[in-house]
Amino acid sequence: MLFPTIEFGLFFAFSLALVWGLNSHNALKKVVLLALSLAFYASWNWRFLLLLLASGAISYVVGLYVDAGKPRPFRGAVLALGVALDLGILAYFKYLDFFIAQFLNLAHQFGLNPSIGFVNVTLPVAISFLTFHAISYIIDVSRGRLAPSRSPVDILLYISFFPHLVAGPIVRAHEFLPQLASPRNAADFSFGENMLLILGGLFKKMVIANYLAVRFVDPVFTDPSQFSRFDLIVAVYAYAIQIYADFSAYTDIAIGVAALLGYRFPQNFNQPYRALGIGDFWRRWHMTLSMWLRDYLYIPLGGNRHGAFATARNLMLTMLLGGLWHGANWTFLIWGALHGAALIGDHAWRRSKAFARYGEGPIARVLDWTLTFHFVCFAWLFFRSPSLDSASQYLSGIWIDNGAANTAPWIVAPLIALGAVTQFIPPASRAVVGAWVDNRNPTAQAAFGFALFYVIIVMAPAASAPFIYFQF
Amino acid sequence: MANSENSPQAHAVARRTRPASAPYARRRLLTIYAILALGVLAFPGGLVGWLDERNASGWFAAPLAFARGIDAVSGAIGVKEVGQGLRKRFSALIGEDEG
Repeated sequence: MLFPTIEFGLFFAFSLALVWGLNSHNALKKVVLLALSLAFYASWNWRFLLLLLASGAISYVVGLYVDAGKPRPFRGAVLALGVALDLGILAYFKYLDFFIAQFLNLAHQFGLNPSIGFVNVTLPVAISFLTFHAISYIIDVSRGRLAPSRSPVDILLYISFFPHLVAGPIVRAHEFLPQLASPRNAADFSFGENMLLILGGLFKKMVIANYLAVRFVDPVFTDPSQFSRFDLIVAVYAYAIQIYADFSAYTDIAIGVAALLGYRFPQNFNQPYRALGIGDFWRRWHMTLSMWLRDYLYIPLGGNRHGAFATARNLMLTMLLGGLWHGANWTFLIWGALHGAALIGDHAWRRSKAFARYGEGPIARVLDWTLTFHFVCFAWLFFRSPSLDSASQYLSGIWIDNGAANTAPWIVAPLIALGAVTQFIPPASRAVVGAWVDNRNPTAQAAFGFALFYVIIVMAPAASAPFIYFQF
Repeated sequence: MANSENSPQAHAVARRTRPASAPYARRRLLTIYAILALGVLAFPGGLVGWLDERNASGWFAAPLAFARGIDAVSGAIGVKEVGQGLRKRFSALIGEDEG
C-alpha cells in the first residue's frame, strides 16, 4: 500500500475520520492509530508484524532499564545489547547473504570451498527505517533527552506510525513521543500548506519521477551498452532529478499526511541541488538521515573532537555505513566512500586559509556549486547501477562512444527543467499560498485542491515506477 | 523547503487565531472528502477497476455497484469523457500511447 494508490487513498480517508473522531480520547486514539499502522504494515506481509512487535518489545524493555535518571548496574551493557539486537535483526535480513557471498568469494580465491549456504530470506519492507527509529528511542532515553515511556502502545506507535514507516522521514524519538502525550488541535496545522505538500509530492512522484523513470532512466541503466554517450550522460542527470522528485515526494506526502492526522514530522529536504559543498548537500538532502547519522554515529565515534585524522576517519566510517544502510551492495559502499572522501575534502577546504581568503567570493561560489552538483550526480551513477559491473560498463560507455543513435525522448528536457525549478522556488512560497488557502471558505479550498489534483491525474502516466526508497 | 509551521512565531499566531477545534476539524475533513469525492467523480475508472479486480469473492459487490453508479453519473454528465480526453491528449502530446 504505497502513497499514490487507490488503496492508500481509501485507507487514508478511513483513518482520517476515525482519528479525528477519537481526538478527545487520546488513549483510544493511539490504540486505533497503532492498529491502523499495523494493518498498513501487514498489507505487505503480515508475518513481518512479528518483527515490528519484537523491535517494539526490545525498545520498551531496554528503554525502561537504561533510563538516564536511574543509575542501574550494567546500564551501558544493556544499551549496547539493545542496539546490537536491533542491528542484529537488520543484519540478518539485509546483510547476511551479502557477507556470506563476500566470505565465499574470498575463500574460493584461497582455494577453499566452505559448506556455507545462503539464508535466502525475504527482505522485510521498511526494516532500515524501523531499526533506526528503534535505536533512536533507546539512545535518546539513555542520554536523558526523553523519559522512558511506560506505554508499550506509545513505543510501538512511534516505531510503526504509518506515514513514516516505509520510507521516512526518520523521526527521532524525542521529536515524536512527546506529541503522543496529548491530542492536538486541528488548527495547529495549516490545512493549505499540508494540502500543497501532499499535492506537490504527488506531482513530483506521479509526473516528474514516473516519466523520467519509465521513459528514459530505467531502460538506460538496465542495459547501458545499448545507449549513446549522450544518452548515458543525460540519464545520470535525469536520475539525479528522478531520485530527488521521488524521495522528496514520499517524505512530503508523509509530512502532510502526518500533519493532517495531527502529528508533526521534521523537514527532510531543503533544495539539495543548490548546495555549495558536500557538507551543505548533506544538510539539505535526506536531512533526517544526516542528523541521525550525526547524532547516533558520527558524534559517538568522536566527531571532530580528536584532530584531523580522527575526524577524517569518523567521516569516512559514517558515510560508508550510511552507504551500506541503503543496501547490501558494493555500489552503495562506493557511493558512501565517494561522499566520505568528498566530505573529508570539503571539511579540510573550509578550514583552510585559502577558503578564508577566496571561499566566499562569487567565482568560488559558482565553482563550489558546479563541483558539488556534478560530483553528486556522478556518485548517483553508482547508487543507481545494479552492480559494479554495470557501473563500470556505464562509465566505459561514457568514455568510449559506441556510435549508437541518441534516443532520449524530448520530454526528458522539460522534466529535468521542472525538477530544477523545484530547487529555486522560494522556501516561503508554500507557507504564503497555504495561508491564502486557509483563509478561503471550504468550498473554495475544495475547488482549489481538486483543480490541482485534476491536473496531476491528467498528466500522470498509466504505468508507475515504485518509490526508490521503498526498497531500503 | 522550510516548514514554516515549526517556527515559534507561527505557533504563537496559530494559538491566537486558533478556531474552535471540533468544528474546524469537521470542516477540514469535509473539504478533504470533497476533494477525494470530486476526484472519483472526475476519474471513476480507477476505483471501478480497483474494486473489480478484488471482487472475485463478491465481498466488494456493494461498493463496486456504488462505484459503477458514480461511473454512470460521471459518464452521463460528460465529466468522465473530459478527463479521459485530456489524459489522451496529454499522452499523445508527450508521445505515450495509453492504449
